[in-house]
Amino acid sequence: MNASAWPWLELSTKLLAPEEREVVLGDLLETHATAWRGLLDIFSLVLHRQAGLWRDPRPWVAALFVALPSSSLLMTASFSVTCTYQRLVHHRVFIGHWPTGHEGFPLLLCHILLLIAWSWTAGYMIGSVSRRTLWASVVLVAASCLHSLCMSASWLCLFLFLPPMMLGIWRGWQGSRISFRAAAVLALIVTVLMISAWTNDALWMANWLLLCPAWYLVVGARRSRPNGGAGFSPLRHARAQ
Amino acid sequence: MLGEFEYVLITTAAGLGEKAYGVAIRDEIEASIQRKCSMGALYTTIDRLEAKGLLKTWVGEATPQRGGRGKRMVRVTPHGVHAAKQFYDSVLRISRGASWVENRMGGTS
Repeated sequence: MNASAWPWLELSTKLLAPEEREVVLGDLLETHATAWRGLLDIFSLVLHRQAGLWRDPRPWVAALFVALPSSSLLMTASFSVTCTYQRLVHHRVFIGHWPTGHEGFPLLLCHILLLIAWSWTAGYMIGSVSRRTLWASVVLVAASCLHSLCMSASWLCLFLFLPPMMLGIWRGWQGSRISFRAAAVLALIVTVLMISAWTNDALWMANWLLLCPAWYLVVGARRSRPNGGAGFSPLRHARAQ
Repeated sequence: MLGEFEYVLITTAAGLGEKAYGVAIRDEIEASIQRKCSMGALYTTIDRLEAKGLLKTWVGEATPQRGGRGKRMVRVTPHGVHAAKQFYDSVLRISRGASWVENRMGGTS
């Protein structure tokens, strides 16, 4: 095999699980496969693995029912917060007081806190439900953001929810543990803040969907509690399934 | 009931015995069925058969010719042997009387 092609083969095996990487590289060395054949072999294995993963409902749930709707809703909420901030601080006037013309600083703060919590919990759920197909969920989030940018949303709108969401995805993907108490407190705070915003007519009906990831954490933490009591770890959760 | 490729893989692994691992199985399959066998098809089928309890795999010794990397060793379990025998018997039963089968029972030619 051409020595210059070897780093490319090693790089492409990063798409495989760590325990499989070494075996596959060993196989390619032993068979003296050409670079082209080696790449074909690796990609055929990656494709077979991905096809197998998508037979399970979890990647579909993570991509289509969590990543796509939550990123669209978060983008809208982020845009709303930006408009409110500009109205309150820079005294900008929006036609028809859209989207939240009556909000004052307390509701703006409530919205900012909710946005951070929604983004982090949605990200955590995206990262933990199906770790090996995370790329698809991330592509959908990126596509949703790009679509909103094309619809003239500003970069500031993106930056409001993307950092906590990315942090959540990272924590969920890593399998970070969350104790039942922490998950329950977080979910309760989010619920109370949402009820408060709802009673002040500062929340859309669709925003209630963003509460689901917070309660997903609570259910996950509660399920994993008798097994070790250390809290909800998506890695352990995934292995158990 | 096994699939065709699953049967080929189990039979090949059983034939190789203690020397059954990824590359050896693949070479043997390509030589016997005269068709290319992709690494993807090989390892995903091995995974499927292992999940069904028909094969057992483990990472074996590392050799210099593999750059110090281990082999994925394969052993057919008693369940695997049973499943392969069932498949073979079914093929024999269904083939009885087929025109391409030599010495077919009850044949007229």
